[in-house]
Amino acid sequence: MKVTKTKVWSAAIAVSLTYTAAYADGHTADVYAPYEGTTLVVNFPAHPHYNAVLEVLPEFTEQTGIEVEVDQLQYLRMRERQTLELTKDEGDYDLIAYVVFSKADYVFADQLENLAKYFMNPRLADPNYDAADLIDGYVANIGVAGGEKGYLPGQTGSLFGIPFGAETSVLAYRKDIFEKHGIEVPTNYDQLLEVACQIPELEPGMGGMASRAASGHQASHAFLLHLAPLGGRVFDAEWNPIINSPEGVAAANALKTIVDCGPEGGTTFGPAEAAAAFQQGQAAMFMDSIAFAAGFEDPTRSTVVGNVGYAMHPEGVRRGSQTGGFGIGIPSNAQNKEAAFLLMQWLTSKEQDLAIAMAGGNPSRFSTYQNAALNEKYPYSATFGEALQYADPDWRPIIPTWGTINADIGTTMSQVLTEGLDPQEALDGVAERARAIMEEAGYYTWQ
Amino acid sequence: MSTARANRMTPYLFLAPAGIVLAVALFYPICYMIYASFLDWNPSQRIGEADFIGLRNYTKLFSDAAFRESMWVTIKFSMVVVTIEMILGVGLALLLDRNIRGMSVLRTLFILPMMIAPIVVGLMWRYMYHPTVGIFNRTLTDWGFDPIPWLADGDWAFASVVIADVWQWTPFIFILSLAALQSLPASAIEASKIDGATGWQQIIYIKLPLMLPVLIVTLLLRLIDSFKVLEVILVMTNGGPGLSTEILSLRINRTASEFRELGEAAAMSNLLLIVLLILTFTMFIYNKAQDARMARLRKVEEEV
Repeated sequence: MKVTKTKVWSAAIAVSLTYTAAYADGHTADVYAPYEGTTLVVNFPAHPHYNAVLEVLPEFTEQTGIEVEVDQLQYLRMRERQTLELTKDEGDYDLIAYVVFSKADYVFADQLENLAKYFMNPRLADPNYDAADLIDGYVANIGVAGGEKGYLPGQTGSLFGIPFGAETSVLAYRKDIFEKHGIEVPTNYDQLLEVACQIPELEPGMGGMASRAASGHQASHAFLLHLAPLGGRVFDAEWNPIINSPEGVAAANALKTIVDCGPEGGTTFGPAEAAAAFQQGQAAMFMDSIAFAAGFEDPTRSTVVGNVGYAMHPEGVRRGSQTGGFGIGIPSNAQNKEAAFLLMQWLTSKEQDLAIAMAGGNPSRFSTYQNAALNEKYPYSATFGEALQYADPDWRPIIPTWGTINADIGTTMSQVLTEGLDPQEALDGVAERARAIMEEAGYYTWQ
Repeated sequence: MSTARANRMTPYLFLAPAGIVLAVALFYPICYMIYASFLDWNPSQRIGEADFIGLRNYTKLFSDAAFRESMWVTIKFSMVVVTIEMILGVGLALLLDRNIRGMSVLRTLFILPMMIAPIVVGLMWRYMYHPTVGIFNRTLTDWGFDPIPWLADGDWAFASVVIADVWQWTPFIFILSLAALQSLPASAIEASKIDGATGWQQIIYIKLPLMLPVLIVTLLLRLIDSFKVLEVILVMTNGGPGLSTEILSLRINRTASEFRELGEAAAMSNLLLIVLLILTFTMFIYNKAQDARMARLRKVEEEV
């Protein structure tokens, strides 16, 4: 009898000690307690944002007692691995980062958990999460599916992932060069194209703007980047291809002008080559993902540190910067879904979003971009936050047939850039082939 | 009776392990691929969930301009590289078929390119072809010439991948030709010398005809290999600009991973396999014909 009593006492002391420790830390241990000792396996891409995430992850284990094992892969390899993993009965991954265009495939194949049941669960959902603070363009693009056009939010949509390591486009320019020649920072497309071709004349050997243009995905990305602000779309509301509209031709011509006036060898550039050309002072402008900004300020790699200014993606007939990058979601075949949700919620919370941003990641929240400390460390943050208000979640369709159509746009656009193919003719061809692909996939069943 | 039957069964028993390995390692994957080519199969599905669509993948391929273009690029690429490599390889072998000091070192040096991993070869050439910092364009501009758009222009890009492939695979032909040359009967060459044949005459009338069986096999091996080249081009151009360097294996790779059409990729692989089988059978039939001819000649000799 006595022995039992002592046991009860020591247990009570132990419990009260744990609680005190947890409360002193500012966190409620009982949320995480049921999952203590669980090991989560997560799949992340090799990407600057996720490198920053790795710096804050140990803190999660310390606060919650949940271990996290990270499998980091190059992002295309990551997608291939996930394709295999997600078709298994019991998957190895509890939480995955996915590229935005995987959303269509994974949701369609019922491989991602609908997050509603987790946000409804009072034991799991943090009341202070403040979902309204998440950047809406990102959430619409990466997180939600089932609404408008099937891949966008709307009355019928629901949430399958949370943007994490998402990005938009901004215009990076050389402050010193612009100042030297008294050039104004372009705010619309006419000015942008004019400046792009003015630079090589003023600064011999320097290209106007470095852009992606390599055959395939890169050329397609570059074209679509201009298509949205110039007022075009790939499909209309009935899925008829309208890429060959006058707006489409204008976007193709804009890309051709930019590449022609850009740095030498530009037609083979992927994003890394284009960023390198800008970093090495071979181009005066660079319009691409915000993820490259940190690299421009890195003195070990960049020769333009301190000379780079940032402006919003110039306006065409409307504002429309790209949305892309990664989100995180829970696979349907995950084995520790609730703990995975807790990690997901923790990673995208206000505190951690800021901590990751301070370590060089891409924020998912408006409040992070307005944070004074972040703006002090990365002065461009406020501009990025402003640009994000115009982020266009629909600048490219996120549908299962997109891979084929995207590749076709890319190779055709490459022919426009290198073989002098007429843009109208090129886009007419794309539209015709896209219609056949969509027809086969059943998009015209209701017409 | 039963002993006789056991005796008859014994060879099959010994063959069985090899047969099983063959069935598991070769026929199963090929049958799997052939079956997959009749499916509308997305990588997010298991093979059992995919719809059977008969020959639709094949009919789609033949009406697909991009596939036809890629087939044409592949054939053009194979013909061009194999022709250049044969001429260079055999030429080098003829030049170096003599007793030079340090020959073994030279031979090792010559076959170095073959030993480098294709990905590395691709990266190396990509940097050498770089428009501004690459060695070729830097040298050209230093000498006062205009830089060449090595990988940025369709025709140049094709030439560039041909150059890289020739660089890597000429040594293969060189080393086989050299071996063939060194095993030629010295008597035939001495006889021709006594008859007063010049160096050229020796090559054209004695050496090349005697080397021919080896050369044909080498040619076919290279041809088969060149149809399947992937990594070097993947790294150098990824098929661009446009479709100018998109060879078939690259198209298959993209169809499977980028377009997520496993059925169509399987159909393409089957077509490639058929082309390669035809080449291999040609090689096989040629060997048979050669053997038959030799046997006939020997028989005639014996009869005389």
